[in-house]
Parts: sequence; C-alpha cells; structure tokens
Amino acid sequence: MPPAPRIACLLVPALPLAAELRAHPELAGRPLAIASGPGPRAEVVAVSPEAERAGVRLLSTVVHARTACAGLALRVLSPALEQAARAALLDAALSASPRAEPAPPGTGVYAAEAAVFVDARGVAALFRSEAGFAGALAERARRLGLPARVAVASSRSVARIAARLRAREGDVPDAHVTRIAPGGDAAFLAPLPLDLLNPDDDLADALSRFGVRRVADLLRLPERALGARLGPRVHALLALARGEDRAPPPPAPLERRLEEACDLEAPIERLEPLGFVLRGLLARLAERLACRALAFGDLELAFRLEGGGRDARRVGVAAPTLDERVVLRLALLALEAAPPHAAIEGAAVACVGRGLRGDQLDFFRPAGPAPAALARTLAELAALVGDARVGAPALADDHRPDACRVEPFRIPKPRGATASACVRTLAVRVLRPPVLARVRVAGGRPIWLESALANGPIERSSGPWRTSGRWWSAEERFAFDHFDVATADGWVVRLRLDLLARRWEIDGVYD
Amino acid sequence: MAPSPTAPFACGSLGAGDPVAHSFPSRAGPPRAGSARLEALLRDLGASVVRGGAETLPAGCFPTGLAEIDRALGGGFPRGRLSEVVGPGCCGRTSLAHALLARTTAEGELTAVVDRADAFDPASAASAGVDLERVLWVRPTAVEVALRSVEHVLRAGGFPLVLLDLCVEETTALRIPASAWTRLRKVTSATASALVLLGRRRLAGHFSDVALELDAGRPRFEGGPDWLAGLDAHVRLVRSRAGPADRDVAVHWRTDVQGLRREPKPNETERPSAA
Repeated sequence: MPPAPRIACLLVPALPLAAELRAHPELAGRPLAIASGPGPRAEVVAVSPEAERAGVRLLSTVVHARTACAGLALRVLSPALEQAARAALLDAALSASPRAEPAPPGTGVYAAEAAVFVDARGVAALFRSEAGFAGALAERARRLGLPARVAVASSRSVARIAARLRAREGDVPDAHVTRIAPGGDAAFLAPLPLDLLNPDDDLADALSRFGVRRVADLLRLPERALGARLGPRVHALLALARGEDRAPPPPAPLERRLEEACDLEAPIERLEPLGFVLRGLLARLAERLACRALAFGDLELAFRLEGGGRDARRVGVAAPTLDERVVLRLALLALEAAPPHAAIEGAAVACVGRGLRGDQLDFFRPAGPAPAALARTLAELAALVGDARVGAPALADDHRPDACRVEPFRIPKPRGATASACVRTLAVRVLRPPVLARVRVAGGRPIWLESALANGPIERSSGPWRTSGRWWSAEERFAFDHFDVATADGWVVRLRLDLLARRWEIDGVYD
Repeated sequence: MAPSPTAPFACGSLGAGDPVAHSFPSRAGPPRAGSARLEALLRDLGASVVRGGAETLPAGCFPTGLAEIDRALGGGFPRGRLSEVVGPGCCGRTSLAHALLARTTAEGELTAVVDRADAFDPASAASAGVDLERVLWVRPTAVEVALRSVEHVLRAGGFPLVLLDLCVEETTALRIPASAWTRLRKVTSATASALVLLGRRRLAGHFSDVALELDAGRPRFEGGPDWLAGLDAHVRLVRSRAGPADRDVAVHWRTDVQGLRREPKPNETERPSAA
C-alpha cells in the first residue's frame, strides 16, 4: 500500500508586492503600493504593511493613496515581474523536491496570491523532518527574494488553507511554517473561518445568511438539503471542508530555460543605465540557477522597443558560469557592438541552464585560462575586432593555396608535452589581399617585377607550380601559376599568375 | 672631511648613533675593498636591507628549439618579459616565431597570435609543427586595437606566450606612447607570460627586455631547374637585461615543400569529389 500523500504548499500572499520588492529590494521597509495601471485614477491592488499603517487602503485610487501617505512609493503592476516571481517560486520548490507544480491562481480576495504544491512524501527524510523540509522551502524562497509561507498537510487544499492562515497571522517570527499531522486535516479545518476556503461571493452570502461562519458549522448541515438549496457548488465546498483531495502533485517538467523580465518605468536610450537593469535581471537569474544547481548557458536578450519594435539577440557563453558579472560583461559587449535602434521599454533575459562541472586539473600539465575568463576575453576581443577575426586557425580542406578557416576558440583537452624536433621551416607571410604586380617574362619565367612591395630585376626564380580547382563553379574556380622569386632589392616573394584574370599578384612573402 | 675618491668605503667610521647610509654593491660585482666588513654590516642589518642588482627573471622561459638562438638568449624568450624580434622583410622573423609557437604548443601550452599584419598563414605554421588548436588568432585592424587586444589576452591568463605581429607599414611613422608599453610590461610581468613583438624596427625601446635584430636573409636556390631551398638569416642579440648582449647567430631556414602546398604536382588539377 503506497504511503499516504503529504503535500507542502509554498504560498506568497501578495505576489505583486513580493515581485516588486524582489526586483527592487531597496524599497523594503518603505511604504509601497502597487497600482493597477498608470494615471491618478488607477486602483491600488497591493500595499506593504508600512503603507497600510500609514493609511493606504486596497482598491483606493492612486490620488487617495498619495494623499494618505506623502512618502508613498508607487509602482505600476508588472506582469513580467509577477511571471518571473511565479517561476522563481517553482524553482525554490524544485530545489527541494522533484515533484512540484504551480497551484491554480487564487480567486476573489486571494487573487493576489501565488502558490506551488510540492510533494513532501519521501523527501522530508532528507531534511530530518517535515518541519525541517518546510523550513528549507521557506528559506530557499526567501533567498530568491520571496517571503513565502509553507504548510504541510495530507492534501493540497488543506495545505493551501493552512498556508493562507499562516499568512493571515502576519509576520510572526519563526512562524512561517505549519505542519498538520496525517489524519488531522478535518480537526484542523473545523474551527477555521469559512472565508479561508474562498467560496464564491454568492455562496458566501447565502451561507452567511444561514449563520454559517466556520467550517464546523458547514459540516454539521445535511449535504443533500444544502445541495438542493445552494446548487452543486456547495458539494465542492463541502469536499474542501472535509479535506478530501488525495491527488499528489504531478512532476513539473524540468524546464531548464529560465527567464527574468521587467517593464521599465521610463524608456532607456543609453547602454549605461541599461547595464543596471540587466545587472538586476542577471542577479535574480543567477540566484534561480544556483537554486537549481545550474549555471548560465547561452543568453537570450529580448527588448521591447519604443514604438512597438522588438530586439532579440543571443549571446554565447563559452563555459557555464554562475558569475553574473561575467555574463553581464558579455551582454554589454554584444549590445555595444550592435545597440538597439530605439529606446528600450522592457527587457527580458533568458537562458537555458547548464550543469556546472569543475575542471579536473593536472599537476603536470598546463592549466590554461579559466573558462569564464576566457569567455569574457573572447567576447571582448570580438567586440574589438569583430567576430570573424577571433578564433583558432584551421586548415581548410581545399587546394587553394591561401585557403584557411577560423574556428571558434575552445580550450583543447589538456595533454602533456609531445616530442618536438628542431623546427627550421621557412615561413610564409600571406598578403591579404594580394599585391598587384607588373611582371616582365622571358622564356616563360619572370625576369622583372614592379609592385608596391618589391621592384627590380628578378635574380632567381623557381616554378611554375600550377594549382587549379573548383572549375565546376564560375564564382569559385581558380587557376594559378606560382613562382618563388628573389628580387635584387632583397625580397623573396611568392608570385602568382592568375590564369583566369590574367594578372600577376604577390600573395606571400618568405620570412 | 670630504672622503677621498679613492678611499675605500669604511663602515667602521660610523658611530652607534649615526644614520646608516645604505650602499649596494654595483652590478659589476662585489665591492673590492672592505667587503668583509660590509658583508658583516649587511648581516647585522638583516632583512632591513635588500641587495640591489639586476632584476631576477621569473622562473622559466620559452625556448625556440633552435639551439644557437636559445643559447644566445640564455634559454629562450623569458616569461614575464617583453621581447622584440625585428628586421626587414624576408629576414626570418616569422620563421623564428613559428619555431617558438611550435615548441610552445608542443609543450601543451596555449598561445595567442595578435596579428595586426594579418599575415599569419595557418598552412605554413602547421608545416612548422604548430598545433593550431592551441593558437588563439586575433586579427585587429589597427595598432592601437592590437595593443588593447594583447592586454585583454594577457589579463585572461592561461596564455603563457603571446605573439604580437606589428610588421606593418603603419608602424614606420607611428610612435606608440610609453604608457602603452608600461601597461603591457606590467600585465606581462603580473601574468608571467612572455610577450614577443615582431616588427620592422624596434618599437618598445628600453621597455623590451630582450631584442633580436635580424638582417635581410639570403635566399638559397638549388637544383636544376631551380627551386627555393631555404633562407640564410643572421640574428643578432642587441639587448638583454639578463645577460650580455651583442651576440651573433647564423640560422638557416629550410623550405618545407609539402607544407607550402606544393601538392598537387605541377599541372595536376583538382577533381570534384563524388559528393
């Protein structure tokens, strides 16, 4: 027989407020109100305890709120911040249990709450007790900037009600966690006020007229008669009152793509202030990644531009890192190289988390650069000289003498020293582009050279070496006759006759 | 009484309360007169006195694999120092650089080539034995950008050898400010990397610790018909902080026919693959 379900509910009672404080921790301790929109007639949808003490009330207009509290910090409701906060709450839950899912959104007076159900069965042993597990959940949510209440019960609904009750009790020290022992759900619910079950407004009014104030009062009434008078909705409420909800939470898909976003109060045109915005987004993303034991992978930046445009770009991160300063530098370098074409009204940063794995170093082999430092340096170099001009040189599988490739530079696998013989190979310096030349030929051999590089009679020469290829492509075909020539003015150059263009060029210098 | 210019330095004349005038042995060698008493005084002063003299080089250097040049350099290009290899075109600078890269990458080290001249030939380097996988190739478009790129690479750490190729026309009249060399020297020293500068003429001046000057090479053609067999070069060590300079070395560079893509054979043409 499978063990009885144990469900933890991680609940943030006022998500708009928590999301705002998570993004702007400097507002903590100040009277803060969240308005439903811009303008003086917008309604206040969330208030901090400080603002409430100063007389700011929910659903009052912004004008009234400002009149009540002169030092009120007012922010507009940000769906982007709320979405990120919901995702962060799920991250906190998934850091403690493999099975978690977001709870359905609250309704009525609980519309502002956000909750996550976590399967506590089996994992509580890792935290010594269910109370320890619940405490760890609360602590992890707090680290992500979310003041959450946690309750553990035998069903989702009871756990959520218990968490709501804990939230209603306010900020009592060491009282963020409630544990209801198995089999104790009904006894726990009985004395609670009925509004904690969040019935519909109509149903709540009807029950209030009947004199039903508490859960125990409701359970004493005959179910059939109640159903006949109040309709089928009351059966769901009765099941909730009895704590009948046995479904464990299904596992949430382990989505590794994390996103943080924010709406800006005023459009940003310059990169410097945008850096501060990105720093905050990346710091929050780093906390969530750390919570999931992941690190930054390639970054996706998206900006909502003034005038309705959108700017999206991808920033490569060569090695997984949790240092948000490194990633910020990479993002800023990418933005410096190609700034957005209009002012920015909203910013979003997303990344697919990658496992952070330490390198295994060797005592006797060179260590090489730190992956994060290398990634930053490569990005800085790319910003300085261009993407195509930084990398590892590679030979191209081509007969063309000047063919080569530049590949992305990656730290090669460490290896020990290999035997190297004394190298005395004459090197060639390639001229990019080749230098045009005028050549006098006698007997099929160049005897006189005029160019921007070398001039005068050719003392010795060797060749020709003919190379040709890609004759099947009109654009890529080539045919050269190469000569190695030594001129009287001291140059030893690689001279070529382009047989297709019928011109002489110097494409290399022996040095 | 003014001391006689020939009088030996005498510590015994100092009283117990007299301030001690610290004097250090010259770089030419230990003091000839009164050295025993001076040594006794230095022993008494202990750690409060630091002996001067030539700066000690950080441990290690990068040999080129060419015995005669390594001997002249005292082992190779020193770590933590700025070195210059200069000369006119066709003098063998690049061949020397490739030898250095080949030897260093063979040791498993990473290297960087900051190629302002955009003249690095991967095929030629590979034929010299350079492990291209261990080379970071940066191609800046201006000398100033090249210097900044070098600084970035050095600051990243993990690139113990950085080659800066400034063999460009642009440097003929360009005067790179001393502050740039000071910065590079400081970073080079801090990271214990060797920075080797290739140029047409000496650019770093007294900021470089080692300077090699190469004379125009003499090509060697052999066989009948002629083929370029190699280049005879002449290398002169003109500056070395670690030891005596003015050493001359003759080097011969051989042509690697296969490495210079002398395949396919003359008049042989490429055919499209089956794919």
